[in-house]
Amino acid sequence: MPPRAVYFIRRLGQMILVLWAIATILFLIFRLMPGNPLVAFIDPTFTAEQAEAISRQFGLDQPLPVQYGLYLKNIVTGNFGTSFFQKEPVLGILLEVFPNTILLTGISLTAAYVFGVIAGSVLAWRRGGKLEGAGIVFALMTRSAPEFFVGMLALAFFSFNLGWFPSSGVASPGTIYDSVFQQLTSADFWRHLALPALTLAIYLQGLPLLLMRSNMLEVLDEDFVTMARMTGLPEWRVMLSHAARNALLPIVTALTLGIGYAIGGNVIVETVFSWPGLGRVLVRAVQSHDYPLAQGAFFLIAVVIVGLNFMADIIYSVLDPRVSTARQEVA
Amino acid sequence: MRNRRNRQAPTDQRLAMSDLNRRDLLKRAGAVGGATVLAGGLGSLGAASAAAQDGSRRVRQVSVLVEPQANVPEQFETIQLSAQRLRDIGFDIEVAVMPWEQQSDTVWFDRETWDMTAWQMVGRPERLDPDEFIYNLFHSSTIEDGYNFVGYSNPAYDELAEAQRVEVDHEARVELVYQLQEIIGADQPYMFAVYPHENYAFSTSVWDPATVVDAKGIGIKNYWTFVGAAPLSDQTDMILNTQSSVQAMNPLYISGGADSWVTELIWDRLMRIDAAGLPQPYAAESVEWADDTTLVATLRPDLMWHDGQPVTVEDVIFSFQAPAGEMSPMYKPFVAPIEAVTAVGDNQVEFKLLEPFAAFLTSGLSKLNLIPKHIWEPVLADLAEQGINAEQYQEETPIGSGPFKYVNWARNQEIILEANADHFNAPKMTRWIMRDMPNVAAALGGLQSGEINFLSDYTGDPTLLQQAADSSDGALSLVSTIVVGFRFLAPNHRRAPFGDAAVRRAMATAIGRDQIRINIYKDIYATNADSHVSKALEAWHAPDLPDYAVSDVEAARAILAEAGYDWDDDGFLLYPDGQTETL
Repeated sequence: MPPRAVYFIRRLGQMILVLWAIATILFLIFRLMPGNPLVAFIDPTFTAEQAEAISRQFGLDQPLPVQYGLYLKNIVTGNFGTSFFQKEPVLGILLEVFPNTILLTGISLTAAYVFGVIAGSVLAWRRGGKLEGAGIVFALMTRSAPEFFVGMLALAFFSFNLGWFPSSGVASPGTIYDSVFQQLTSADFWRHLALPALTLAIYLQGLPLLLMRSNMLEVLDEDFVTMARMTGLPEWRVMLSHAARNALLPIVTALTLGIGYAIGGNVIVETVFSWPGLGRVLVRAVQSHDYPLAQGAFFLIAVVIVGLNFMADIIYSVLDPRVSTARQEVA
Repeated sequence: MRNRRNRQAPTDQRLAMSDLNRRDLLKRAGAVGGATVLAGGLGSLGAASAAAQDGSRRVRQVSVLVEPQANVPEQFETIQLSAQRLRDIGFDIEVAVMPWEQQSDTVWFDRETWDMTAWQMVGRPERLDPDEFIYNLFHSSTIEDGYNFVGYSNPAYDELAEAQRVEVDHEARVELVYQLQEIIGADQPYMFAVYPHENYAFSTSVWDPATVVDAKGIGIKNYWTFVGAAPLSDQTDMILNTQSSVQAMNPLYISGGADSWVTELIWDRLMRIDAAGLPQPYAAESVEWADDTTLVATLRPDLMWHDGQPVTVEDVIFSFQAPAGEMSPMYKPFVAPIEAVTAVGDNQVEFKLLEPFAAFLTSGLSKLNLIPKHIWEPVLADLAEQGINAEQYQEETPIGSGPFKYVNWARNQEIILEANADHFNAPKMTRWIMRDMPNVAAALGGLQSGEINFLSDYTGDPTLLQQAADSSDGALSLVSTIVVGFRFLAPNHRRAPFGDAAVRRAMATAIGRDQIRINIYKDIYATNADSHVSKALEAWHAPDLPDYAVSDVEAARAILAEAGYDWDDDGFLLYPDGQTETL
């Protein structure tokens, strides 16, 4: 078998192992948490018998190993169960908020990385200047300001003071959309998206900016940059075509991971702006001991992150064959 | 119980699950005997007091359970303040901060293990009749797995609590309810703190203030406001906020606080609690007692379901029979007093009760949603076949006969209802739109900027709301109402020394309610609580109960000394001679 195929199969096996471990931890973590889901259901006038009936209904009367077996079986067959509280299939609930989360984080990430990369390059290029001094302070401040604080400032200023943008939700009161597509293509939606996306982007841009700057500083000392300068290329071409291109590689890695984590939603921004996304659903599910919903949400996030990592590994092995053969030699 | 934000959870809110209603729901958690299947492995809190030496007269260190400050700041501050006064009279107090889930789990399912807990009861329309609190909170039958989680037991109280249930003469019942409150005043099973005020606000340029109804014990967010509010401008939609998301819209399932506001508008009821807190005939034209156990309700003519079908006596009978089986565990208790429901002619329904039950008008006829038989009969049969109950079912388009019709529900975003012009009490507004706004500061900002025009859920600092109203030149009206619920410190009577009424009286004397109200509730956002029957219920609240208004540490120590308690050299409380710490 060619080394690459062996590598592929081994990575696939590892991925499945990791997902199984995550599923198991998820199962245990909710059952070991203090409190129990029945408390949320109970009415003062319930009899013990009624309470047991409810418990039976959710399978909570079964011994843990039996619950665990059922749980694994369901996950493998793609059945995440029904939410304890919303009484609807978990997958449906998650998919309903998924587009909102993807759009908010996707747009914020893109804006943050484009801005961060450009600003980082410029700061590195202007090493030692006043612009760099001010830029670093700005980047550090925005990176360390809590999201809820930036969010509330944005709300107070752009929404309540200037009235440019609405303060909450994904649509104006009373709006009904026939489809997700119709919603996403309406101006109203984008007006609602502006402030949360801005807040999130301000929070996210610090990392690529600082990373890009330090990468650039390193790259600028390399021989090939000196060489490029010696050939008489204009400064901006040296910066863009030679230095920045090479400094970008670590940023791509950071972005891949960033996408993975962003799938989990952004609880704080979603709460400040009443944005109906995955983060809020997740937090409420955990608070209310809605096991199926919380487990389903966490597991989906895990699948996306592990899956992206897997793909990155495979792509790397194609781009750089040393990655797969090196493992072979060690083995 | 919890909730409020949250507290979010199905029985009330809170919850809320909120979240609002989760807290609220949990607070109502009751009989769950033996159902501790998953009770997380918390160690017994009693372990904290293991330091107390067996055989010593010194009272062990006692813990007070409370949620984190961030969840309910007033509650946390009340406990800190109370703990300080209790230390002044010799208690060694540890404040144990824990998440709501853990607190409620301990208090409800491990009843032997805790010493004291912060707690609250929330107001809801059916609690406008004092029966629920009177019976469930302190009757000894609910000690083991019901609402009497403190373990208060008093045969004299039990007897009166049972008597008021069956007393259908109003004056005589009031007298019994007074006596019950006097017993509680003397025994102090709880250290009552306050009846908090519910703060709501609305835009006076959008809604005619004269048509916004302030209901007793509930506030202006109520059914009568929603059907009666008259628009003054082009804005004829009422836009409200909720901090906890609606979980379900189901007439057979109490899934949360925000949820219940929606179900109340879509599904009508035979009677409704009026703004004064008394049940009045509603979908029924009249309700008469034929004798002590027989009620006859006469249906209004021309009632229609939202799908155009007429509301018949068969539908009404079905609405009271459907929850009696296993289909609706949450509504089942409310129909439990019914022996039989039968049709009399084609517009009357006769309810035969198992025994006289004075509160049935409030807890039965004003509580059960009328549901269309032609829709629910096949649904329930189908669910029964699958072995699941009606709580698992969500109608695509909910159909009721109430003043508002379902239009749209965007999960986690908003719910849209529209006025039912054919209703006998048709709303003046066009649409009722409830928006999910978990950020309370944004909700207040939204009220000022006009994004919402009725602030129907506000858990933030009331002073900020007051300032917003004051600086609005009358554009915003804040209405603060005493509610039926109350906040308190609950001692566990199962564990010495809290089973001793003298100790509890001393604790109440030391704590003093004024300083809680003044320091924590800014004096005006709460009223001193002195009974489990709120001062909001003017018709039921007993006058001249012991008020324990002013904190008096000396008097408290005197009460303890008189009961035989003493103090060691370090100032810590000692049990009376001959009694030793047993825990």
